[in-house]
Amino acid sequence: MTSDVGKMNETKSRSELSDIFYHLVRDPLGLVGLIIVGLIVFSAIFAPWIVPYDPIAMNIPDRMQGPSLSHLAGTDQLGRDTFSRVIMGGRVALQVAIPTIGGAITIGLILGMIAGYGPKWLDNVIVLLFDTVRSFPTVMFALAVVALVGPSLNTVILVIMVTSIPTYGRVVRTLTQSLRNSEFIEAERSLGASVFRIMRVHILPNVIGPIAVLAAMDIPTVIGLEAGLSFLGMGVKPPTPSWGSLLNDGYNLIRNTPWLIIAGGIPLILTTLGFTFLGEALRDVVDPKLRGRGK
Amino acid sequence: MSALLEIDDVRVSFSLRSGLLSSAGSIDAVSGVSLKIEEGQTYGIVGESGSGKSTLARAITGLHHASEGSIRYRGQELKGLPEKEFRKLRKEIVMMFQDPIGSLSPRLSIGSLITEPFKIQGMKNTDLNAEAKRLLAMVGLPDEFAGRYPYQISGGQARRVGVARALALNPKLLIADEPTAGLDVSIQGEMLNLLAKLQDKLGLAIMIITHNLNVVRHITDKVGIMYLGKLVEEGNTDNVFSKPQHPYTLALLAANPEPDPDAQLMRIELAGEPPSLLNRPKGCEFHTRCPFVQSSCRHEIPKWNNSGSVSAYRCSFPEIWENADHG
Amino acid sequence: MSTPTLDIRNLSVSYSTPRGELKALRNVSIQIPNKKIVGIVGESGCGKSTLISAISKLMATNATVKSGEIEFHNSDILKISNQQMSELLGTDISLVFQDPMQTHNPVLSIGRQMVDIQFRDRLSKVEKYNRASEMLSLVGIPDAEERLKQYPFEFSGGMRQRIAIAMALMAKPSLLIADEPTTALDATLEVQIIKRLRELQDEIGCSILFISHHLGVIAELCDEVVVMYAGEVVESGSVRDVFHSPAHPYTKALLECDPGHIKEKTRNLPTIPGEIPDLVNLSTGCVFAERCSKKHDACEERPQFSSLNTEHFVACHLTGQENAQ
Repeated sequence: MTSDVGKMNETKSRSELSDIFYHLVRDPLGLVGLIIVGLIVFSAIFAPWIVPYDPIAMNIPDRMQGPSLSHLAGTDQLGRDTFSRVIMGGRVALQVAIPTIGGAITIGLILGMIAGYGPKWLDNVIVLLFDTVRSFPTVMFALAVVALVGPSLNTVILVIMVTSIPTYGRVVRTLTQSLRNSEFIEAERSLGASVFRIMRVHILPNVIGPIAVLAAMDIPTVIGLEAGLSFLGMGVKPPTPSWGSLLNDGYNLIRNTPWLIIAGGIPLILTTLGFTFLGEALRDVVDPKLRGRGK
Repeated sequence: MSALLEIDDVRVSFSLRSGLLSSAGSIDAVSGVSLKIEEGQTYGIVGESGSGKSTLARAITGLHHASEGSIRYRGQELKGLPEKEFRKLRKEIVMMFQDPIGSLSPRLSIGSLITEPFKIQGMKNTDLNAEAKRLLAMVGLPDEFAGRYPYQISGGQARRVGVARALALNPKLLIADEPTAGLDVSIQGEMLNLLAKLQDKLGLAIMIITHNLNVVRHITDKVGIMYLGKLVEEGNTDNVFSKPQHPYTLALLAANPEPDPDAQLMRIELAGEPPSLLNRPKGCEFHTRCPFVQSSCRHEIPKWNNSGSVSAYRCSFPEIWENADHG
Repeated sequence: MSTPTLDIRNLSVSYSTPRGELKALRNVSIQIPNKKIVGIVGESGCGKSTLISAISKLMATNATVKSGEIEFHNSDILKISNQQMSELLGTDISLVFQDPMQTHNPVLSIGRQMVDIQFRDRLSKVEKYNRASEMLSLVGIPDAEERLKQYPFEFSGGMRQRIAIAMALMAKPSLLIADEPTTALDATLEVQIIKRLRELQDEIGCSILFISHHLGVIAELCDEVVVMYAGEVVESGSVRDVFHSPAHPYTKALLECDPGHIKEKTRNLPTIPGEIPDLVNLSTGCVFAERCSKKHDACEERPQFSSLNTEHFVACHLTGQENAQ
């Protein structure tokens, strides 16, 4: 018999989201992560309005300058303002990351729940599918597709999405399997709930937590992947700015000006740190809730 | 008059996973149970671990498949009924589960949980808020509980929510799996009183599954004692308690003594542990633990004896303790 | 009267929680006389888990001892170091817990575990093995030698609990603390284990602190009983006195609610309506007052302990008035 003393005296707490936010803000790493991510997202959304210059406007006479008051991060080999390109590059990065991960989560959730809750033969088929896709080395696969279809933003998104699906799918599958035999699922079955209803109403909300955490940690990976492909020239087409292409330009011009590399590298590092801190803090907050307010 | 629920020689088997090379075996969790429950009646199934009582309950509600036998509700055969047809009956046959908080979907509010039956049955025009309030009031919980979540309420309160949910659509048969397990003694009575009150009000038949014989004494009309998947004694509650026929029933009675240090009790101690279902004893399956075992018990299988004046039993030497010297 | 094996005096323990200070134990005094079995009866929230964690010095990080002493073998457990405590645990003080499924290390054989805990003894491995095998037979496990090679998952719950008791008693402790050891087991198994425990206690001559909510078992096994409610001791005495002449309204109500006690069939079973009070915001009066059928004005004040005879104590205003002592 457990002691229910605390519970009996507890009043209804605030909504779940604000509860998560409350705890996140109190964790120092979480706070840092939240701030960084907030900045990046903000600048990505409002990029067209906050860039000091048009990122693709060339201005040859001012090329390859160092940082100054008029050009905060200097200019590149075509005289374009690096700072503006960095901000726009952030937008591109998120434009790739969000649909990619969003798509991977959606498909991964659906396939994972079906695999975990459905009949064994279906589970075997889906797991085979997952394992096959996962066996491709991601970058090679991406390069192969790009070589066939040609580089573009959409290609990058599609490739990364498809290769991310198994990761989420597997986690959802395992979680679903562990929930499948819980007493509350049995109770819903005894009430006559259809398989679809059980998956949608009872399993889905319980697997979203860990997935959200995974996603937060994955965003920097996807951004890095996009940057890598763009660095190799296989990603977004110029003149669209991307942190990866900034790095490439900077690599070629390293003897002339180091600022391009710095401008391309720092945002990547910051983004990775920011999302990772956020993801870790999120996991710490979400986990005890999954256990039902474990003490 | 046909009974509300008629169970005829039901068997529920589980096959065991085989290794790569070894063959699979199977165990009979329920191995031939027959009983009847009338409308408005309360029937208690008592047994300990491995008795198959929970499996029987789940077979009735279609959560497990009965491999053999027949389960008839108001004459309609439930065994093998496709889920589409069964769903219609789920308004009338409901179940309450043992783990009060674990049987509530953790991310749904209490209000959503108790109105699930309405949504599942597609009753779109119901005022769900009003129904939630009505159900909460029925089990003695305040309105504001509708907005709470399972992790915010106590075990006793969660049990009441389980009752509210089960009774949402006015069922005719409620199967309660260990309704008082884990509850403090001082509030066990509350749960049983609530069930009794609701039964009177709604004309409900209740099947109570429990390992605690004392709980069953007050609220049931009939009692069935299960051991290793079979009924070993069955009859009116009064008879079973005052004149038990099977040694296992006697042992169960002795195991729940009243708190009196000077009480003169028949100190019955069963030998050893319940045998594994993989290795059922020969002859009378209870003989390995029976304190009154006779040599014939080891190879003769006792028949089910239903003579009438006392409870029915499965024993070759019923009430043997009355005839032998007191141990 | 010889010194008690365990003497708890005025123990108060609180937990710090986001809502405030949760006063889990308040001025609890319990004595366990030499070679006796003392039972603690109480329901959820009575503080028995906190009590055990205080005695074994395995308290949660947010728990603080506000006052009191726990005297064992002439030293105060609350004042000794963790190192000294770990020397006591498993030798002089043994514990048996409620959940037999989680007591043992699943990846080591039982024999290995039973030999391991004898690490302080200077015996050969063979001798330790034999001791283990003897102990298993004593708790009623047949073919002990063979079974020592098996792993915990090969034993049922009842058997695991017996093994736990065997391991606890192997070192011949002065005090065995058993926290609801039979709650998770079937009643017929409980009967066996209680009997075995009684026999072993007789042989080994230890004292036992036995926690349970099963009144029938306490009446059967224990010599003395302490009734706790919401962090306080409300009544204590010999099992005979407390169960035959319960003095505290809570004890009386508890006995009335016990299913084994109710002989007449009824559709309206007795209960104790209400809930235990909020241990963070306690009132100054008697802790049971809100739920007591005999509540009156005097109950606004905390009752003192009065004694009904040399052993039987109760904290209730009613008794205080009846007995001029």
